[in-house]
Amino acid sequence: MELSGFLQNVLNGLAIGSVYAIFALGYTLVFSILGIINFAHGAVFTLGAYFTYTLISGQFSDNGLLKGLNLFPNGSPLAGSAWGFALSALVGSLLAGVVAVIIERLAFRPMRTRSADPLLALVSSLGVALVIVNLIQILVGAESYSFPDGIYGNLPPALLFHLGDKTIIIRTVQVIIFAVSMVLLLILGWVIGRTRTGKALRAVAENPGTASLLGISVDRFVIITFFLSGLLGGLAGTLVGSSFGIAGPYFGVTFGLKGLAVIVLGGLGSIPGAVVGGLVIGLAEAFVPAQYSAYKEAVAFALLFIILLVRPQGLLGQAQIQKV
Amino acid sequence: MEFLQQYGFLIATMLQQGLLGLSLYAPLMAGQLSLASPGFYAVGGYIAAILLTNPAFAGWRDSLGYGIYPLTWLLAALACALLGLIVGVPALRLRGIYLALATIAFVEILRVLSLNLEITGGAVGIFAIPQPFGFVDRWQYLWLFLPLLILTLLFFRQLSKSRTGRAFRAIREDELAADAMGVSPTRYKVLAFVIGAVLAGIVGSMSAPFLNTWNAKQGTFDASIAYLAFVLIGGSRSMWGPLVGGALLSALPEVLRGLADWRLVINGLVLVVASLYLPQGIVGSLSRKPKPPTRPKPPTLNEGPSGPPYTSETT
Repeated sequence: MELSGFLQNVLNGLAIGSVYAIFALGYTLVFSILGIINFAHGAVFTLGAYFTYTLISGQFSDNGLLKGLNLFPNGSPLAGSAWGFALSALVGSLLAGVVAVIIERLAFRPMRTRSADPLLALVSSLGVALVIVNLIQILVGAESYSFPDGIYGNLPPALLFHLGDKTIIIRTVQVIIFAVSMVLLLILGWVIGRTRTGKALRAVAENPGTASLLGISVDRFVIITFFLSGLLGGLAGTLVGSSFGIAGPYFGVTFGLKGLAVIVLGGLGSIPGAVVGGLVIGLAEAFVPAQYSAYKEAVAFALLFIILLVRPQGLLGQAQIQKV
Repeated sequence: MEFLQQYGFLIATMLQQGLLGLSLYAPLMAGQLSLASPGFYAVGGYIAAILLTNPAFAGWRDSLGYGIYPLTWLLAALACALLGLIVGVPALRLRGIYLALATIAFVEILRVLSLNLEITGGAVGIFAIPQPFGFVDRWQYLWLFLPLLILTLLFFRQLSKSRTGRAFRAIREDELAADAMGVSPTRYKVLAFVIGAVLAGIVGSMSAPFLNTWNAKQGTFDASIAYLAFVLIGGSRSMWGPLVGGALLSALPEVLRGLADWRLVINGLVLVVASLYLPQGIVGSLSRKPKPPTRPKPPTLNEGPSGPPYTSETT
């Protein structure tokens, strides 16, 4: 492969991989605290995209639902500017975070207080996903939506770099996705590694029983975790939706499954693992040759299967210790 | 007859889904949560669909007549047994959620393959699959599904009484202890996995003509979850659980048909409510056997804040 083609693939892979990473972080945060996989995370991803779209467009074209709900109606100073989009994306992701907290309250907490079989939590979260996805379908229909042009304001649609006689094209949205994801990861890393909240979160993840004996309110940190997880999931949905369009209510299903591949690849419950896993899968997909692009969807699962057989604890996970 | 005309198709569907629930129950007998059933179901269906429609096998169909149908069942069973061995031997080194995720990956890989291969008809799939034994109505599939179900239940009953069944239970309760007692976990886990694979494959080979068309939608992650819900909502401790769960949950959308758009939402709510309030499953809640004494468990991540992990009895 030529250098320019190689670089192009690396850049494409990093952009999509960074979204995989922030989406998967939402899964892995919940797993590290509760030891369960929240299958409704893909639905929260979808909701985030729909929330932001509503705030920007003000309505859904076919039925006029939510008409006039847009944050920035025509004529307001932020309408059609990049800052307007950023604010909508922020509010949309915060709303997704709130939904994740509601999901915890309704579908997980009753089970947690009885320390039920974690498998039941899995089925319960799938039920929630089914409810959310079909409610979206009933309320706004099954069609796909694209974000309005120019949501990134006056930024050029793409940046061009010349390498000899070859040109490398980077779409502006890819740069934004990558930059936002990296900043977010750094902030999250700082919160978890350095702050009191982060310390308490890690203590709860280590042993909820002991943490509560030490005076940490476990319930509160579970809520924080779900909120963060929903926020990250919703933001990932917004970023993917704004660059590729929203493919309808089932938008997040495949993404949700790929997110599973990402966290297992990196190591279940490991935060740096989710980042590494996301970037690895993004890069691996970018390097699938065009003539095999139909098989691209299987790359993440093939990697997942291989890593489970070779190194079940994942790339950065710690081996499970068998207790006898 | 009128009753069968009206409800026969629904009943046949309920039995078919119950059988698929049982295919997930088989590995669960040995404590293995595998979500691979839809993959084997899809493979079985494709084998039948290809044998029954592909011009390459026209000669076989002419010479065998109706005998081609039992042949599709046999070949589906053999192929799924082989595939089950190939996937099962490495995959069953994994435990719990890891095995579940590996089998989800297996199902997804098969789905992408069947979407893109020529022999499986790509995204369109295979259609106009001829009906077995001159069936004209779909309720007649009861003649296939009912005997298969009875045989399966008899098989599971005998199995659970046998030495093998006791080995399954031993591994389910405590794999390390079973290993220490000389029960080879790998051997029995693979066996349980293959039993489930063969059952799903046979059901698939009967279902391809039943549904008349076969495509990549037959074996998806959604199906994995549906079957898991059958087992957990019906009850995972007895073979009646998956059957009851499968029959009820597959009838639910039909019963709710009047609610049109809302039925999937209600289906989701049923899953949430049932997993919250029927933790033993329907069958488990009905049978009032005293719970077997459980070993006090070491504190795990899943334990909530209320009910501190260390009670006075354990300290």
